[in-house]
Amino acid sequence: MADEKKVILKVKDLYQHFPISNGGIFKKQIGAIRAVDGISFDVYEGEILGIVGESGCGKSTTIRSIAQLHKPTGGEVIFNDVDLCKADNRTLLKERRQIQMIFQDPYSSLDPRMTVANIIAEPLEIYNARGLLDHKWTKEEIDNRVEELMDKVGINIAFKNRYPHEFSGGQKQRVGIARALALNPKIILADEPVSALDVSIQAQVLNLIQDLQQELGITFLFIAHDLAVIQHISDRVVVMYLGKIMEISEANELYKNPCHPYTEALLSAAPVPDPEIEKTRKRIVLEGDVPSPDKERFGCYFYDRCPKKMEYCKNHIPPMFDISENHKCACWHYDKEDHSKEA
Amino acid sequence: MFSKKKKNVTTNEFNQIVEGTSLTKEAWKRLKKNKMAILGLIVVIIYALIAICADMFPLYPYDEVVTEHQHLKPSFSKTSGELMLEKKMQDLYYNAWKQGRLVVGEENDAMIKNWIANDKTNKVWSYLLEAGEAQRAAGAFEWSKSDLSAIEKVEDKIQNDVMVTINGLYKNVNGKNTNLKKLNYNEIADIYASMLGLDRAVLDTSVEKELKMALVNEIKSKDSEISTEDATAQAEIDFANFSEKDFETKAKANVYGKIETQVKRDALKTVKANLKENPSQTFPYEEHQELSYGISADILATKTHDRRYYLGTDYLGRDMLSRIVYGSRVSIGIGLVGTITSILIGILVGSLAGYIGGRVDYYLMRFVDVMYGLPYMLLVIIMMAIFDRSIINLFIALALISWLTIARMVRGQIMSLKNQEYVEAARSMGASTARIITRHMIPNSLSIIIVYSTIRIPNFIMQESFLSFLGLGVQAPYASWGSLIGDAVSSMTLYPWKLIYPSLTMVIFLFAMNFLGDGLRDAFDPQSKNQL
Repeated sequence: MADEKKVILKVKDLYQHFPISNGGIFKKQIGAIRAVDGISFDVYEGEILGIVGESGCGKSTTIRSIAQLHKPTGGEVIFNDVDLCKADNRTLLKERRQIQMIFQDPYSSLDPRMTVANIIAEPLEIYNARGLLDHKWTKEEIDNRVEELMDKVGINIAFKNRYPHEFSGGQKQRVGIARALALNPKIILADEPVSALDVSIQAQVLNLIQDLQQELGITFLFIAHDLAVIQHISDRVVVMYLGKIMEISEANELYKNPCHPYTEALLSAAPVPDPEIEKTRKRIVLEGDVPSPDKERFGCYFYDRCPKKMEYCKNHIPPMFDISENHKCACWHYDKEDHSKEA
Repeated sequence: MFSKKKKNVTTNEFNQIVEGTSLTKEAWKRLKKNKMAILGLIVVIIYALIAICADMFPLYPYDEVVTEHQHLKPSFSKTSGELMLEKKMQDLYYNAWKQGRLVVGEENDAMIKNWIANDKTNKVWSYLLEAGEAQRAAGAFEWSKSDLSAIEKVEDKIQNDVMVTINGLYKNVNGKNTNLKKLNYNEIADIYASMLGLDRAVLDTSVEKELKMALVNEIKSKDSEISTEDATAQAEIDFANFSEKDFETKAKANVYGKIETQVKRDALKTVKANLKENPSQTFPYEEHQELSYGISADILATKTHDRRYYLGTDYLGRDMLSRIVYGSRVSIGIGLVGTITSILIGILVGSLAGYIGGRVDYYLMRFVDVMYGLPYMLLVIIMMAIFDRSIINLFIALALISWLTIARMVRGQIMSLKNQEYVEAARSMGASTARIITRHMIPNSLSIIIVYSTIRIPNFIMQESFLSFLGLGVQAPYASWGSLIGDAVSSMTLYPWKLIYPSLTMVIFLFAMNFLGDGLRDAFDPQSKNQL
């Protein structure tokens, strides 16, 4: 699948470190939180790429760095042959028009003092005011576009003068999706768009996203906690741990054949909706907590908690090893050489 | 947010648009349910209307003060003449009692002496007036000759004192009346010269001299340390620098005032003569008088002692009602302007500090901390002492120091809003900082600002009153509630109305404002635990 597909977004060695200061007057930097610590992956046109990992592993930061909400500390985000990290403001705005975001919490991602129509129209207005749209849009054109979008995401046009607090969570998330669609983007970065919704609404919103993806051919970067959601929606999955990518694979392949010990543990943590299997199932329980990401690491990032760790892993950072055509894994166990005897 | 929304007109049942209720609308709905807050709002609106429309009310202006009407007590039924007579009679009865002509019995004598010893003069006067009148009606007491002549004098005054107000001056040219104000200096000066039988050149030099004197006085009042010679020299230079237009307007005003005084004097004479001929003439009346030297005037003749003072008068015979109304203009004005300036400065500093953060935030907030550390009132007092004691300086002094709290509040609000996802969403859409602050942050912190400012206005009024009370605030002839109260305190027992009415006015306003502020806070923050 990947062969015919065109790479639309390339992330290369992306680093995002947040400085820790000592709190004094001169704000001396005494360390850094390594939220994203050198990750690389490609996103193919028209796919839904899921990103999973436990809390604090840098999923959201990755997405925010791609959207340039935080300026990355290092690395490249290449879109349309432009490195977004080094682009000046104007180019950035122009290119970023194609990259929009959907946020996690529909309650706080909509300005409570704006009507729904105004919220959806906001990106249009901003780009219109900066003259970055194909032509100067009139108020009517914007209005029509807003109505079209509301129709597309399934909100009654009659509600366009309502305020966010008059909507339910699912409806609000639809408004958020409509806002992301307003500029006709090529990529939508969805930061846990369904985790704040209850299950029945989750399904609706997921189906909406899938429909839109099929209809408009938009590429999605989709973060979720819920492994079932990821399995349901994504074509490929990235598994992250402590700011590093552990495994990238096609979704079905990953669920059938998890390679990395972390992925195995993650998948075994998800309950199976069958009491018979659930009773007999063996869970891999990881010891300890996720270590603090403020230290520089020289070995495998998962070393502290890995059930299959070897002496060699401690001092060597594993590269991505190819398992199969669309399956890569960062674990020394999959190297052609055997490292179990080495130190 | 402030742009007018296009009304969606329904053409059929399929395209109906549901009107949304914004948070502001909901807050207003909640406020309407709060009776005390609405009462407060109504009171505040009434005060504001009265203060704005003060010029339209038939109040007695400061420049037509009757000095004989000192310290008249408030009365709805009696005219000032009757009150004057009553006062005179109180005085005479008191003298009579002192001289032993008015006998009230030993027990009452002791009572009166006790009152005098305890500074209860008002009680003595009213008691003696009552007793005296009763005795006089019963024939037990008679006025002495000198008493009678004194009373007659007052009565004569009441009957015969008249006042004339000039409502317009006209020059008669070929049977057409032209308003003197529309003529230029040259023409007016000609008229005045002919009125006095003066030579034009003499008049011109005298006008010039007076203008220079006025300049000298102005310079002296600005700089009290300047010597008379220096001031005169400076005035000469200023005068030489006058443009044609400046000179024209000033000289015209000067001569116009002179003509007006002259006409007033003449008109008064005619009115008085009329009154003597026809004592039953009803007052007030308006008249168009033809005067000599080709001038006519619209005059309004009133009997001086027909005035009524509903809230009494002060030590210069000024009407307390008009003092309070004009005073509320100053007080409310200071409250409003002070709040608005402090909010503007506060929003600017607070939002910059909150949004930009980092070093900017650090230094701005340390500056605020330092300002906080200085004693607030002392600073204002020092500022008022250094600079002129004018209303503008009072505004500036209060506003410069009171933005601190607002700045801190706005900063806190903006810092919490900065991490809201909708702000991040706006940033991801490429919104500029200015747009994020004006479209998202300020509207979302406006409710807090509104609530705070309604609570702030009474605070400003209190501070202004405090300064005026100390004599550092508003200077005469302007009045404010605080300066009125300050004036009244020294003679509180004798003339209580001077203290009671301004205080009452102020207290009602402050209560109303506080109720409104509380109501607004509850309305904007329905989860608040502080509700009544």
